[in-house]
Amino acid sequence: MARGPEAPSLANAVLAWCVAGFILAPLIIIVPMSFSAASSFEFPPLRYWLGHYRTYFSSADWLQPTLNSFLVGIASSALTLLVATPAAFAVNRREFAGRRALQILLLTPMLVPSIIMAISYYSVFGSLGLNQTYTGIILAHSCVSIPVVLIAMSASLRNLDRNLERAAAICGATPTQSFRLVTLPLLRPAFILAGFFAFIHSFDEATISLFISGREVSTLPKRMFASIHLEADPVVAVVSALMIFIAVFAMAIATLLRQRRQPARA
Amino acid sequence: MSHLHLRQVSKRFGAVQAVIDATLQVQAGEFVSLLGPSGSGKTTTLMMIAGFEEPTAGSIELAGRQVEHVPPNQRDIGMVFQNYALFPHLSIAANIAFPLKVRGRPRAETEAAVRGALALVGLEEMATRLPRQLSGGQQQRVALARALGYQPTLLLLDEPLSALDKNLREQMQIELRRIHRQVGITTLYVTHDQAEAMTLSDRIVVFNRGRIEQVGAPLEVYARPATRFAAGFIGDSTILDGTASTAPTELRLPDGTTLHTAQPLHTNATGAASLLIRPEDFHLGEPPAGANALPVQVLSVLNLGPHLLLIGQHAGREIRIRTPVSPAALASEGSTITAWWLPAKSWPIPPA
Amino acid sequence: MKPGIPTWLLLLPAVAYLVLVFGAPLGNTFWMSITEPSLGLQNFETILTDPLYARVYLRTVLVAASVTLLCLGFGYPLAHYMARRGGLAAALLLGICGLCFWISYLVRTYAWTVILGNRGPVTAVARWLGIEPPPVLLFTTTASLIAMTHILLPYMVLTLYVVLARIDPNLIRAAHSLGASRWQSFTAVVLPLSLPAVVSGCLLVFIFCVGFYVTPTLLGSPRDMMISSLIANEIEALLDFGSASALAMMLLAAILVLLTIYDRLVGIDRIMR
Ligand SMILES: Nc1ncnc2c1ncn2[C@@H]1O[C@H](COP(=O)(O)OP(=O)(O)O)[C@@H](O)[C@H]1O
Ligand SMILES: [Mg+2]
Repeated sequence: MARGPEAPSLANAVLAWCVAGFILAPLIIIVPMSFSAASSFEFPPLRYWLGHYRTYFSSADWLQPTLNSFLVGIASSALTLLVATPAAFAVNRREFAGRRALQILLLTPMLVPSIIMAISYYSVFGSLGLNQTYTGIILAHSCVSIPVVLIAMSASLRNLDRNLERAAAICGATPTQSFRLVTLPLLRPAFILAGFFAFIHSFDEATISLFISGREVSTLPKRMFASIHLEADPVVAVVSALMIFIAVFAMAIATLLRQRRQPARA
Repeated sequence: MSHLHLRQVSKRFGAVQAVIDATLQVQAGEFVSLLGPSGSGKTTTLMMIAGFEEPTAGSIELAGRQVEHVPPNQRDIGMVFQNYALFPHLSIAANIAFPLKVRGRPRAETEAAVRGALALVGLEEMATRLPRQLSGGQQQRVALARALGYQPTLLLLDEPLSALDKNLREQMQIELRRIHRQVGITTLYVTHDQAEAMTLSDRIVVFNRGRIEQVGAPLEVYARPATRFAAGFIGDSTILDGTASTAPTELRLPDGTTLHTAQPLHTNATGAASLLIRPEDFHLGEPPAGANALPVQVLSVLNLGPHLLLIGQHAGREIRIRTPVSPAALASEGSTITAWWLPAKSWPIPPA
Repeated sequence: MKPGIPTWLLLLPAVAYLVLVFGAPLGNTFWMSITEPSLGLQNFETILTDPLYARVYLRTVLVAASVTLLCLGFGYPLAHYMARRGGLAAALLLGICGLCFWISYLVRTYAWTVILGNRGPVTAVARWLGIEPPPVLLFTTTASLIAMTHILLPYMVLTLYVVLARIDPNLIRAAHSLGASRWQSFTAVVLPLSLPAVVSGCLLVFIFCVGFYVTPTLLGSPRDMMISSLIANEIEALLDFGSASALAMMLLAAILVLLTIYDRLVGIDRIMR
């Protein structure tokens, strides 16, 4: 490797890899933890077994929240896509007065601390009877993932070559045909990716769920929170390890999607 | 009646006047280039013809129909975009079939049209590939095939060759001429490359700052530019500024030299006038009787292979002379030589 | 080209949704802050006069500032290395940072309870080094500081990286050819060009940190509460909706001020790159 003046120094390299290690290490130690035979948080584990996995997969106490999280995640990401996609088109592809202000407004749910939203939903949903219901959690999660979807779609929408739609029009396609035959197929990976992000966002959300999900529709993060907070249940390690596996897998898929999305450039 | 007729078409974007009062008639089967520097309004003009921009004023008539309010998909125009705009998710054949498909043409007709268009550009064996699997030049030809496959009434090309390297560009120019001759479609071609416009076109439309400065056959625009801008933009030129003397064909330079020309000068209110001389019209050596002659101080000599370009000056004006390679000319750098030209070889242009 | 669907119609679902599911609950919280238990500003008065609340605010700001500085101190070298090194190493490091966005912060918080716990590796190393008794880390402000830094670091790194990677390496080569040393070319060229990203990353991390709830609750000391935990506590332990709402509104106001600064300096819409 050429070491020009623009290349980083050795000290920089060492520091960088140390920081990367700091980022990665806590995630890595989870995996052996999940196979530990000990009954509480202990690292390095003394013996390994699959017992905690068995506990996780046979305990309704864990499986129900997992299922809830999946249901809420799927429903809320679908709802978010439905609500946010038209706005993503408008904000990225139309010129209108107050566009910037609107863009900022649409981003704020991400920037307002969850605890504020949590207590707000807690009292409003309380009087609407939406606390401890799927509807309540789905509504709340969708709201917070609108900016997530917007950000995820914006890059693709802006990278989508305007000339492609022009080409479709000049070839004789009606606006509907152009949307169906050109825009939609080209944006499909972006839709999937945005939906994915919204799902992950909902799946990971803990603060709001802590307040509004109650026992009935407890989500996985809420269950984990309780576990870490109160009982030091080693099954948390299993759930965490599974979530890391899923994350690695999901990221691999997302990377593939993103590569496929790259338009062919001359 | 002309096939395409622009009548005083203007387009304004906010404070920017992109196109001003453009009037142009194009005959059926003609190949017309819109030539001008970047930002001169060529693309905007093309976009208004295609229907992607609506003119602020003026009217556009295509094949006997007023089209300025007709959406692009109903204008029956073919277009090649600068970046080709091939649909990346569709095969080459599907790209070419797209216009026929959206028109609901029968499958057999579509397939025949696709085959014909692929044959026209010589890419029969690429039909099942995706655009990104093709080279730039091949993509370019697919874009052309797609624009021609449904036999539109007008073909628009916006700097289609600018992304290609020089060799490929020349090859594609030859190809474009062949295809145009074969198909005979009325073609509007945007370029900022004057050589390209000269090579390809039946007529050239010179754009400058949103205005059409001149419309004419390539050689006419070269030999008899209507404006100072056209004179400078197309080909190499020497422009001499002076004042008109008593005779309408006599120009007096600031240093007192009098030049003769065959055409009456364009004189403005202050009496200023200018002459254009093309570099190949200069000769070196003893001037014959009746010729104009100037002493030129040669500043540099560029060897351009088949000929030399002498860049010199006379009384502060730059003089560009093209001359065959000769020992005398080669050795002239730094010295003062005499350059002469026939009065008929100078062309009066409006003063600055 | 004339658009098919009017712009307002495209915007309607999202705007309506936000008004109903985002604006209305926030409005209600504001309403509660001035009406619970009775109409007036007494909730705000208590918060602004009681030194207990002032201490929590101060602690929150200090913690957030520390986390921000830690993130910058760790994140800058990493981002700089990724940007200048390029190639596979950068892709790998980028992947590591990216992975964090896919992994729940609860998982990462949990990891720190193990690492910092009294049977975790830190304690083991301390024992092995002969430090007796080993330092107590879990349930201290230090623990939540470390974990929050860990959780927010990827945001900082990516914000910095995007800008650093866009700096033309020829600029650095040019600085060198003009006689600058490595350090001089860094301070004179790279650092000034990356300053907007530094500001942007710091504000982002600070804003996220100020509102953090889960991590400080699980790792921090119950005595050294941060503002979010205090809000939750008012509701969960004291059922005092008025104070909780007022505290939330004060936090929201602070965030809005920060966001305004962010918008002035960077532009919030730039988040949607
Ligand atoms: N959509 C637009 N909005 C604002 N200004 C534009 C737009 N399109 C073109 N212009 C301006 O109009 C002028 C002509 O542009 P264009 O037609 O693209 O020139 P050319 O194709 O000759 O380079 C330029 O000054 C350009 O900046
Ligand atoms: Mg152009």
